[in-house]
Amino acid sequence: MQQTDGMTFIVKTITRISVWMILLYGFYIIFHGHLTPGGGFGGGVIIALAFLNVMLAYGRKFTASWLNISFLHDVEASSALLFLVVGILGISLGGAFLANFLTKGQLFHLISAGTILPLNILIGMKVGMSLFLVVWSLAGLKIEKGE
Amino acid sequence: MIVYLLCFLLFLVGLYGVITKRDFIKIILSIGILGYAVNLMLILFAYRKNSSYPILSEGAPIKQMVDPLPQALVLTSIVIELGTTALLVALAIKLFEKYQTFDITKIRRLSG
Repeated sequence: MQQTDGMTFIVKTITRISVWMILLYGFYIIFHGHLTPGGGFGGGVIIALAFLNVMLAYGRKFTASWLNISFLHDVEASSALLFLVVGILGISLGGAFLANFLTKGQLFHLISAGTILPLNILIGMKVGMSLFLVVWSLAGLKIEKGE
Repeated sequence: MIVYLLCFLLFLVGLYGVITKRDFIKIILSIGILGYAVNLMLILFAYRKNSSYPILSEGAPIKQMVDPLPQALVLTSIVIELGTTALLVALAIKLFEKYQTFDITKIRRLSG
C-alpha cells in the first residue's frame, strides 16, 4: 500500500467520494446561472477545483492518466470559438451580435433565457479548463532545490 | 462612512506589504489584498441601505435592489486579477530557478 505519489490513503478515499459531488455542484451552478447567483464563471471555477482536488490527492501521474489533458486543451480552445459562433448566429438570425434567437420559454424555468444558458455553459467550460490548466502547468515546472 | 475607512485600511495593509516585505511570495499576496480592497470599494459604492440582491425569484415581491453594474464590473476585475496573479507566480518560479532565492534584495545581478 505504500505509494510515493499523492497523499495518504484517507485523503484518496475521501477525494474519490467528494470529487463527483463537487463536479455536480459546479454543473448545477452553471446550469442555473440565469436563475440564481452564480453562472458560468463561478461554476467553472468549482469544476476546476474538483480536478485540482484529484491532482493534489492522487498526484500528477494518476491525473494525467485519468484525464485526457490534450482533450482539455481542445475544450478550452474551442469554447471561445463556439462563443463566437453563437454571437455570429445572433447576427444572422436575430439582427445583432449575441442577439437572442432561441425560445424564451417560461419565466423562472430552466429553459427561460434564450441563448444565455448555452453561453453560460461555454463560459464555464472556458473558465474551468483554463484555470485547471494554469495550475497544472505551474505545478509541472521542475524547480531545482535552493541551497 | 466607517466601512469606507475600513476598506481604505485594507488597501493600506496591502500597500504596506508591497512596500516593506522582501519575500516575493508575500509581495504577491499583498498585491492580492490590494485587489480585494479595490473590489470591495466598488461593491460598497453600489450598496444601498435596506436593499436586496438584484435577482428576481418566483413569487417573491420586487424590493429595492442594489446596483448590479459594479458587481458585473467586479466579476471582470476578479478574472483579470486571477490572470495577473498567475503571471506573477510564473515569474516567481522563473526567478527562483535563476537566483535560488525569493529575497528581492538578493535578486540584483541581471546575469546570474
